[in-house]
Amino acid sequence: MLRDRLGKELLFFDGGMGTLLQEKGLQPGELPEVWNLEHAEEVMEIHREYYKAGSDIVLANTFGANALKFHDDRYGLKEIITAAITNARKVADKITAEEHREVYVAMDMGPTGKLLKPMGDLSFEDAYETYAEAARYGEEAGADLIHIETMSDTYEVKAAILAARENTSLPVFVTMIFDEKGKLLTGGDVPGVVAMLEGLRVDALGMNCGLGPKQMMPILEDLMKYTSLPVVVKPNAGLPKQKDGETYYDVEPEEFAEYMRKIVDMGGCIIGGCCGTTPAHIREMVNRCRDMQIHEPVKKTDTIVSSYGGAVVIGDKPVVIGERINPTGKKKLKAALKEHDMDYILKEAIMQQDNGAHILDVNVGLPDIDEPAVMVEAIREIQSVTSLPLQIDTVDETAMEAAMRIYNGKPMVNSVNGKQEIMDQVFPLIKKYGGVVVGLTIDESGIPDTAEGRLEVAQKIIKEAAKYGIDKKDIVIDVLAMTISSDPDSARITLDAVKLVREKCGVRTVLGVSNISFGLPYRPAVNSNFYTMAMQNGLSAGIVNPSSEDMMRSYYSYCALMGYDENFETYIGKYGNRTAEATAQSTSQSAEITLSSAIEKGLKEEAHLITARMIGEGQKPLDIINQELIPALDKVGKGFEKGTVFLPQLLMSADAAKIAFSVIKDSMSGDEVMEEAQDKVILATVKGDIHDIGKNIVKVLLENYSFDVLDLGKDVPPEKIVETAIEEDVKLVGLSALMTTTVISMEETIRQLREKKPDCKVMVGGAVLNQEYADMIGADFYGKDAMQSVYYAQSVFGRES
Amino acid sequence: MDTRTKEAVRYLGYGNHAVDGQTLELIRDSFEELDRVADKRIIYRIFDVNVTENESLDIGKLHITSRNLSKNLCGCKEAFVLGATLGIGIDQLLRRYSLTDMSRAVVIQASAAAMLEEYLDTWQKETAAKLEAEKQYLRPRFSPGYGDFSISHQEMILRMLNAEKSIGLTLTNGGMLNPTKSVTAVAGISRTKERCPVHGCEACRKTDCAYRRET
Repeated sequence: MLRDRLGKELLFFDGGMGTLLQEKGLQPGELPEVWNLEHAEEVMEIHREYYKAGSDIVLANTFGANALKFHDDRYGLKEIITAAITNARKVADKITAEEHREVYVAMDMGPTGKLLKPMGDLSFEDAYETYAEAARYGEEAGADLIHIETMSDTYEVKAAILAARENTSLPVFVTMIFDEKGKLLTGGDVPGVVAMLEGLRVDALGMNCGLGPKQMMPILEDLMKYTSLPVVVKPNAGLPKQKDGETYYDVEPEEFAEYMRKIVDMGGCIIGGCCGTTPAHIREMVNRCRDMQIHEPVKKTDTIVSSYGGAVVIGDKPVVIGERINPTGKKKLKAALKEHDMDYILKEAIMQQDNGAHILDVNVGLPDIDEPAVMVEAIREIQSVTSLPLQIDTVDETAMEAAMRIYNGKPMVNSVNGKQEIMDQVFPLIKKYGGVVVGLTIDESGIPDTAEGRLEVAQKIIKEAAKYGIDKKDIVIDVLAMTISSDPDSARITLDAVKLVREKCGVRTVLGVSNISFGLPYRPAVNSNFYTMAMQNGLSAGIVNPSSEDMMRSYYSYCALMGYDENFETYIGKYGNRTAEATAQSTSQSAEITLSSAIEKGLKEEAHLITARMIGEGQKPLDIINQELIPALDKVGKGFEKGTVFLPQLLMSADAAKIAFSVIKDSMSGDEVMEEAQDKVILATVKGDIHDIGKNIVKVLLENYSFDVLDLGKDVPPEKIVETAIEEDVKLVGLSALMTTTVISMEETIRQLREKKPDCKVMVGGAVLNQEYADMIGADFYGKDAMQSVYYAQSVFGRES
Repeated sequence: MDTRTKEAVRYLGYGNHAVDGQTLELIRDSFEELDRVADKRIIYRIFDVNVTENESLDIGKLHITSRNLSKNLCGCKEAFVLGATLGIGIDQLLRRYSLTDMSRAVVIQASAAAMLEEYLDTWQKETAAKLEAEKQYLRPRFSPGYGDFSISHQEMILRMLNAEKSIGLTLTNGGMLNPTKSVTAVAGISRTKERCPVHGCEACRKTDCAYRRET
């Protein structure tokens, strides 16, 4: 019944709860939900006042009722939630009897109070379970809807929505906190939030808290631009003000109600209040707005993908999809995937972002690889270093679903095609998790060899998607670029098809651009020209290599030429200082210093150029390493010990050396493999600890000295460290902890290692540690700084010089 | 050199050595980047202070046993409880640079610590000035985890401030503040003007610390 009224008539929420409870005696720091049991009458009185004031929907007092906040309290979670819903239900039923109107009780779900991984220590799955439990209790106790509110993290909200939808059959409303710039605390923006929430098929969305009604208006305007759903607006009674250390709000009921009229005019259709609003505010709001006509939600047509950091609109201005994280034809990436070298993948991600990509393709498909597991890990890790939206690229249905589930935002999904079997697999996933799906124009009879044939397949895909309620804005068509070397007409057909699909279907398009030149010499020339031609024919998103100068030159030039680059800002930013001599000059400068002095001074670019030059001159890699690199590193290390070189300098040298090493590695052919590091060292920041900078410093230095570092990251459970040590037969483990509270996990890790891998040495470091403490917890070595760990590692592996 | 740059240099372990030009440049760059990325937020409330028995005291619903804090709040009837953060963007930045440019990561880490202290110092000064107009005096702030003021109080402090909702400040299971560039603190309000005791670094009894401020 509530679902039928959504977006058809104006509905009223209640107002603030916390302040009213405090007036009745709730102490700051006390858990308000305990009052459902200990002061049920007071809570019911507040509900009653709101219903009497005209609220259609009242939030039960369950905002913080989740297992993470109620871990060791006197009452069980079920008891608390059942009491909360029952209290509200009793009042609601009485109101229905008295006033003959249908009113509703919402199960209110706020944030867990924890940050999710990768930035925090709560896993997505645990967040999901936390919300699932609460949502189930809420439905069982008789809630009419689930209202997820005051959220500032898109990932947490995704966990909450999936939990509510998969564990109850109730309507789900979601409101987020935006700041005055229209941003979430975690960086997300309005279109990004809308895209994700609509993808997850919530019933209504909007904003609450953080701002007063006046400050919410510009954000509401933005919301209305992007959403096709009924919009909830629940402002505070103005911006918070401070007096004598107390927060208060000073927008009075009349003023509040006037603003709310404007908000209804702008498109808000489920309205109420948040902090500082009272039954008086709600009464005034209901009185003044009751007879207003609402604007029924309008369907929007923008194609949007998002991540936690915001949205990318795939519109008239083309966007760049980075193609580099795809092992096809890439030896190094293949090796990295096999060896589980996530750092390599992350660096590729960062490089593509720095080079101008808007979306990153992620494909980890290799034979003999657990694709679902690797895909999930890759998506998670990449999302921890870049806020660009990702394109989940796989033919493995299980990997696709697993990745879509844990992706933070609304992903691009590559791909579906015209084959019935594939459509039957992919569309249910898009319907469930949301996403913009790439539709390849291929079906049971292959790739049509005319533009019209490809158009027909595109139309078939769009039609089939509609059966699932998937709008064509969430489909981008890939008419496929086949190499011209096997069919000279193929470029022409592709370009015609792009144009035709844009015109006839009105959908956005995508192409793997680089295929076109396969088999030809000097491919960048053909690729970049084809890229320009494709954009001119209506290509919305090219999957290209953003590190390719030629491709990006085409892209930036196209945008400048077509008026997509206001004041040529991007173009000038990119090429404004470009002179032909710039590179030549730095080369000649670098000729004056030696590699060892470049490393000592921490000059990365010079280290790169000189190493390349030395290799070009035919010097042997091992000679360069032993005569230049290692002596330079040793010298800097000694200086650090003596106190003449300091940490930033030590690391600048390390970074420069790292670059020199990678130039040397790149120069070697397949059979002339460099003496690979065999001495494995595990590094980890212990369980409960999220500070990993110290560990990362040690890692850089150990790698310089060619140790094979297995970096397990931060907040690592003892079991995982032990398991890895046994599996990889590791002789040395380095553990880091920042605080006394987490040294306990360090001790536990050492205990488990002693028991299960007794031949393994343990070195420890971190802010609170000292020799005495290290001895107490049974470590073999305490590294007071990063160089000490290097020396100790050398001694463990008998490498002392 | 401005104060925050000096502090960043100190956090990088230079002691009384002169900082090199390259690092100094990196510090300047880092502050520029931090100024763009940092999302400074602060929340505070005043609570009554009740000394219950020797070295035990109540600040609102906080029940604390701490000799250091008792001394710090001696004679105060009220105290600010506060939380402040530079936001999660800094952690994302650090993570990124840890992969690509470790020296920069380390310098940003130190610069962010200096920035956070500066932010709180500014709050402290402004608040003290306001209080002085009413003949009240602000004591130096004191944070859980220092001396014998246990960090186990973080959870209640965050709850009392509603810090998650108001400034996005959360706690990990290990009791760490997250975003990592965040602090909570207690700062007493006193009716009598006392000679302000040294605070911060100088007050600490770990005199052999590599990062100790030169006095």
